[in-house]
Amino acid sequence: MTNAFSLYTPRASALHRLHPLTMLALVVFCLVAGLALPGPWGPYVVFLLLILPLAALGQVLPNLLSTAVKIALPFAISVFLIQGLFWTGGTPVVELGPLSLKREGLWFAAQSTGRVLTVVSSFLLLSLTTRPDALMIALDQRGAPKTLTYIVLATIQIAPRFQAKARTILDAQRARGLETEGSVGRRVAALLPLVVPLVLGSIIDIEERAMALDARAFSRSGPKTSLLTLRDTSAQRAGRWLLLLGMIAVVALGIWLRRAA
Amino acid sequence: MIAVRDFTYTYPAAPRPALIDINLEIAPGQFVGVVGANGAGKSTLCYALSGFIPDFYRGDVKGSLSVAGRDLCKTPVAELAGEVGLVFANPFNQITGARFTVREELAFGLENLGRPRDEMVARVDEALRLTGLTELADRSPYALSGGQQQRVAIASVIVLRPKVLVLDEPTSQLDPVGAREVFETLDALTGEGATVILAEHKLEWIAAHADRVIALRGGRVAADGTPREVLADASAEELGLMPTRYTLAARLAATQGVVKRDGPLPVTLDEAREFFGGRQREGA
Ligand SMILES: Nc1ncnc2c1ncn2[C@@H]1O[C@H](COP(=O)(O)OP(=O)(O)OP(=O)(O)O)[C@@H](O)[C@H]1O
Ligand SMILES: [Mg+2]
Repeated sequence: MTNAFSLYTPRASALHRLHPLTMLALVVFCLVAGLALPGPWGPYVVFLLLILPLAALGQVLPNLLSTAVKIALPFAISVFLIQGLFWTGGTPVVELGPLSLKREGLWFAAQSTGRVLTVVSSFLLLSLTTRPDALMIALDQRGAPKTLTYIVLATIQIAPRFQAKARTILDAQRARGLETEGSVGRRVAALLPLVVPLVLGSIIDIEERAMALDARAFSRSGPKTSLLTLRDTSAQRAGRWLLLLGMIAVVALGIWLRRAA
Repeated sequence: MIAVRDFTYTYPAAPRPALIDINLEIAPGQFVGVVGANGAGKSTLCYALSGFIPDFYRGDVKGSLSVAGRDLCKTPVAELAGEVGLVFANPFNQITGARFTVREELAFGLENLGRPRDEMVARVDEALRLTGLTELADRSPYALSGGQQQRVAIASVIVLRPKVLVLDEPTSQLDPVGAREVFETLDALTGEGATVILAEHKLEWIAAHADRVIALRGGRVAADGTPREVLADASAEELGLMPTRYTLAARLAATQGVVKRDGPLPVTLDEAREFFGGRQREGA
């Protein structure tokens, strides 16, 4: 079953069978490791040796790669150009007339790109393999604050809401003769009648959505139950504790490596 | 079932009240249509009857409002989920977006109420059956037509077994096919003895199905009676209501002298058949 509102990709993989909290712990471990290990190489090691094999195990490698590249590549290009060229007082590696690429700038760009890549692909790994509703239920059962689960809920809702609304407004504006093709300037100008109703409309919608949720007792205090049953095992519980210890260890390792350097 | 006494409500910072001196008694099992021009106060009455005033919409409240003896103005909405249910015009805004299938979407309210899983499964199955959604139970709520989504919205409220179901123009965003699906669902529900309050502009349907019609104007109850008493009345147009095609045809026939008019004009097809058929036989 595919769903319009999340990245979740159903597969019969070992990762998909994990309890959502185990999956969350695994992804947070990748995130922590990617950020804790020092420089330019740290995040790449995590990406290549941890995140990619996990994505392969979850049978979502192509999905993860294509989306991660789409998000990280524009960032990488701009940060390499800006930091490479405008780093003040570094060692030039390549001279291009009046401009020069500095070693320190490139170093810095490689590191920040690596970090962005780890962060983005960690989130992708989680969203591709974990049903958002299951994660929310799991957090709820562990007594997570209501506002947190609401934020998760609202975030999941935003994408399809905007998409559907944008489509309706675009159709309506097109019917009134709005230009959606043509020169860049024209298209930017054409965006305004799309964006303004979109934002205003969404604010009004929020009120109705809040009412609809309340009519179904969402803000009621007291214990909740769930139709979906989550399978947890003692092995997974132990695994989550190990991952927590692992996080502490990898942070310590990161500090030690930085000191040693 | 519902008792409204001297109820006056003003939205925060509004210059004048949106509802003025409302007095209503609604019996259990009644199907009540609420009609009126834009801005007459239909939605506001729906919000009041489902407990959103003054818990959600603040503002100034006078008088009282109770469902099954429970004071709506003193109870938070989330605690009222088993008493009254509200369905909105836009089906899309009523889907939580946090559940994957129609079945799970319906269970959402019961989960919040902390009902045991066995009971949840049984009640969801029943709500699916009542709204004709059984076949779509494992689909994503987003992969449905507008009419089907609105039925999901209705099902996700009736699964909580509210004593009163309030609907604010549930078909205004639907095409004729979607609207018919929703109306047929409401028919099935009233057949089961539910108390239903329906704000609606489609008077033809109200005329054929409601037990009682309340017309609002400027926040006041301007007329209250059977569909025929309210909708066929000459003053209906002053209330901003467009008479049904049966009323219009009968009035035209009467003014042109095609039939002799005595008694009230028809508002439904059946009444029109009687109105025209009866007179013709007399004339023949
Ligand atoms: N949130 C609000 N704040 C202030 N005034 C409001 C608010 N909502 C509605 N009103 C006012 O209250 C009055 C009744 O509005 P209401 O929405 O109940 O009318 P309605 O009969 O549902 O109209 P429609 O057929 O357009 O849905 C109107 O004068 C309106 O301007
Ligand atoms: Mg309204």
